[in-house]
Amino acid sequence: MAISKPKQILLVDDDQLFLKLIEQVFKKSGFKCTVAPSAEAAIILLQEGTKPDIILSDYLMLKMNGFEFRRYLMNDPAFKDIPFVFLTFFSDKDLVEKGLDLQAIDYVIKDTPINVIVSKVNNILFAVDKQRELSENEVKKAAKSLNIKSIPVKPPQIKEFSVDFWHQAYHDIPGGDFIDFIKVNDRYNFIVLGDIMGKKWMAWFFTFGFLSYVRSAVRFAAFNEEYSTAKILQQVNSIICFDEVLKDILSSLSLLLIDSETNRITYAGAGDLPLLQYSNETGELTMVSSSGLLLGLFEEGNYSEKEIVLNQGDRLFVFTDGMIDFIDKTGKKSDYNQFSKTLKPFMERENNFTHIAKSLFTDSLNEQVDDRSIISIYKN
Amino acid sequence: MIKVYKELNNILLVNLNIKEASLENGDAFKAEVIKLFDKYHKSIAINMSAVEYIDSSFLGSIVSVFKHLISFQADVVLVGLSKDITNLFALTRLDKVFKIYNSFDEITNQ
Repeated sequence: MAISKPKQILLVDDDQLFLKLIEQVFKKSGFKCTVAPSAEAAIILLQEGTKPDIILSDYLMLKMNGFEFRRYLMNDPAFKDIPFVFLTFFSDKDLVEKGLDLQAIDYVIKDTPINVIVSKVNNILFAVDKQRELSENEVKKAAKSLNIKSIPVKPPQIKEFSVDFWHQAYHDIPGGDFIDFIKVNDRYNFIVLGDIMGKKWMAWFFTFGFLSYVRSAVRFAAFNEEYSTAKILQQVNSIICFDEVLKDILSSLSLLLIDSETNRITYAGAGDLPLLQYSNETGELTMVSSSGLLLGLFEEGNYSEKEIVLNQGDRLFVFTDGMIDFIDKTGKKSDYNQFSKTLKPFMERENNFTHIAKSLFTDSLNEQVDDRSIISIYKN
Repeated sequence: MIKVYKELNNILLVNLNIKEASLENGDAFKAEVIKLFDKYHKSIAINMSAVEYIDSSFLGSIVSVFKHLISFQADVVLVGLSKDITNLFALTRLDKVFKIYNSFDEITNQ
């Protein structure tokens, strides 16, 4: 059974003694507590990145009172949806109504035994989680019934190469990463890996627009027998810059063309992370960079292509930024070199790609912070 | 999230006071910068030295704000990027898109 993450609560009260008491009780009940001695201090904490699952705030505080605090949060899109509970000594009915008008989820009188307050908060969080789960399941069901996928079911069969991929959605919700394998004929195969800037459903929704343009541009290129990954990227970028819906959405893209006759791989990238190439002969992993800018940024994306030669036993990795993100004791990090260092020992002793991909993230520090996608191209 | 530090003739210097720049605060960041631009009508230099982590969603918000300002012939300038964030900008070629400075002094001394 998965161990659920402790819930984080932000406790706001100018009564230091009460704040300490309630903090201890919530901590004992398994909560991660952040405390603020005023609404102003709480706002600073939130602005600095504290992300509570729920806020429990006193009403009567000097300067900014609980209602003003709540009103402030409601006007900020980043904070307005955090469940909010008022805590006060007052038992005035009008006050309760006023608080509920401010979409406070509940209203707790301070005289209530603290263990009852904790139970109440637990019940609220359970109800919020349940509601979120139900909404997500509805969208998942709708997506399934439409049979639309931004990630293929299985890797392609390509002559002379073994191609594999691994994808892990952030919080198990489809997101902005997209993968496609486009077979032109026995000789030419395209590999596509993109990452829409954003997360979860919103990003996922746009993947289909990008994928449609990429597929069309690849098909047109193949029809005209123009096998230039840079030209295809430029074409996709030009269309996106004119698309009324997609022009404000940005995406990275790695586009590779495998030629099974010459064993050459041609690569062009748009704001993507450099690929990693493993040489079986030297045992080294080296970066393969491209010059292109993110799709949708400028009409001229400065795309160029690189030719990559893989010898027998060599491997090429194409991946999105979720692979280089991790959390350690000091917080979230993005570290490309660290990812490369983590990957290297696996190259020397392990050949099974799925095992490699899964093993990379068994470390408890590697809590997921974004979609993770990686494609491996192995030269047989 | 954003506090105005100083207004110069041609550019507004602001501090971004968040540790984690992510999906959760990207939209609010975008709205605040555009509000400042609507008020001051000049380029904006954003001091990001407090930011320790940035995800692709927030990068998208910065780029989106940049696109908005350049359509009015103004610019978004970034200041005080940490080593990790500087690397991320270089890896994704965004260092070719933005003017990046170490401190506000480098801008004011120009």
